[in-house]
Amino acid sequence: MASQNMDPAAAASTAALKGSETSTSVSKGSVTKRLQQELMTLMMSGDKGISAFPESDNLFKWIGTIDGAQGTVYEGLRYKLSLEFPSGYPYNAPRVKFVTACFHPNVDENGFICLDILKDKWSALYDVRSILLSIQSLLGEPNNDSPMNSAAAELWDDQEAFKAHLHAAYKK
Amino acid sequence: MMANPVSVQTLSKTWELSLYELHRTPQEAIMDSTEIAVSPRSLHSELMCPICLDMLKNTMTTKECLHRFCSECIVTALRAGNKECPTCRKKLVSKRSLRADPNFDALISKMYPSRDEYEAHQDKVLEQLSRLHNKEALNSSIEQGLRMQARHRAQRVRKLHPENENTTFSGGEDNGDTRSHVSHDSAPSHHTSAPASYAPEAGPSCSKKQQMSDDSGPEAFGESRTPPGQLPGHGLSSEIELIFCPHPLLVNNQQYSQTRYVKTTANATVDHLSKYLALRIALEESQSDTQGNRNMEGEPGAGNSSSSSLQDVSEKQFTIYISTARGQFSTLNGSLTLELVNEKFWKVCKPLELFYAPTQDQKQQQENQTPQLGQMDVI
Repeated sequence: MASQNMDPAAAASTAALKGSETSTSVSKGSVTKRLQQELMTLMMSGDKGISAFPESDNLFKWIGTIDGAQGTVYEGLRYKLSLEFPSGYPYNAPRVKFVTACFHPNVDENGFICLDILKDKWSALYDVRSILLSIQSLLGEPNNDSPMNSAAAELWDDQEAFKAHLHAAYKK
Repeated sequence: MMANPVSVQTLSKTWELSLYELHRTPQEAIMDSTEIAVSPRSLHSELMCPICLDMLKNTMTTKECLHRFCSECIVTALRAGNKECPTCRKKLVSKRSLRADPNFDALISKMYPSRDEYEAHQDKVLEQLSRLHNKEALNSSIEQGLRMQARHRAQRVRKLHPENENTTFSGGEDNGDTRSHVSHDSAPSHHTSAPASYAPEAGPSCSKKQQMSDDSGPEAFGESRTPPGQLPGHGLSSEIELIFCPHPLLVNNQQYSQTRYVKTTANATVDHLSKYLALRIALEESQSDTQGNRNMEGEPGAGNSSSSSLQDVSEKQFTIYISTARGQFSTLNGSLTLELVNEKFWKVCKPLELFYAPTQDQKQQQENQTPQLGQMDVI
């Protein structure tokens, strides 16, 4: 699964990138440009419950936050995530993981997220905003059939107990 | 193995009519010389490549689902990812599932004749930005973008009649007799068709028109995203059109001689309108500053003074009046919604006419002038 970004096309474009910056299909400039556009949109749109900003002076690594949606056990909890954009972005998905530990059926202890749109269902039309919104909705609607955290999946049916454990274990 | 709460919805999108399609009202063909103002922002989403978020270049259209991309973008996407339409996931077997769309390219170059200049500027802004990725740099780049947007809006050709091809869209450059049309077609629910059609996930994806919005201040005039599930077309009835003139008595110089045409949602308040106006005027001023500098030095000026004026924009700068009887003007309270103004003072079935004048330092003057002006009721 994690090999998504290792596919030949991505490798080819990375190789080409080293040769010439302007004539390749995925030049560093165009990735930067698109990330910049996304950043502007995010700043202007003012979505409630999600935010993202480049971590430092590196536009290819962002820190995002997601607030647990209202009416879910995650309500009132805020999660930090890291987003790393490959040179083949947006043709290749960014690597997204939770920085704040997240007790969830589809998130493992290292913060890795099992979400199809970050893997084989990735489309170049997804962006930071749609990724964060998708993860936000995943929090409230886990896929318990193939959990990465089976304890969380088993506990999910008992929402009271899940919530109690979640909030007890939650650390900023 | 994968959690997929999102992709399920997208599968159905290819054959179901969107809410917009279900609710839109048929429009009669225009056979005479009637002119229609189309907001450049509403067009922008149509002219944008959803992959690079830039204006379409060498447009390719998918043969079956009719989604458009830059040639370069879609070819790269098909090579890198699944063999499906990035917008709707319809299977795209090969490049032969696409066709070039020269008509669309022609349409774009007709509407954006100065594309090279636009791109050169964008590159410059991005280059500056990549040097400094701090918030400060970002803010200034957004401001530059806004100013640039205002300038390009002014350059866009709006009328289809060849003899009028140089008529500009918005004021600022033609402050003379030309009545410049600014249609702010900004009812949030107005443009849902485009974002919905290229969003393969739950919510509508971001579109460039939002980034390029030049009126980020008052939400009512900005391009706001329609929350998923809101009925498109729902807001159409609550739109209001207004003609916005400088106050004939209070504004006696050439400074704001243009009449503005504004279309907005009826729940916008007089304060919104006032702030919007202040922003427009600040943008237009900075735009003419920049152009002045450019003419002299061959370099677009950074315009530090104007960027500070953009930050200072407030609804207090302009006071909005309505004409209650011939020669009599009433100040409108900032918290009134335009809908209320329309019901209370206008009533007739034609666009609402409002007047504006700068507020600064005029408070006392106004009070002195009040007797001459007749009834200046503060409502």
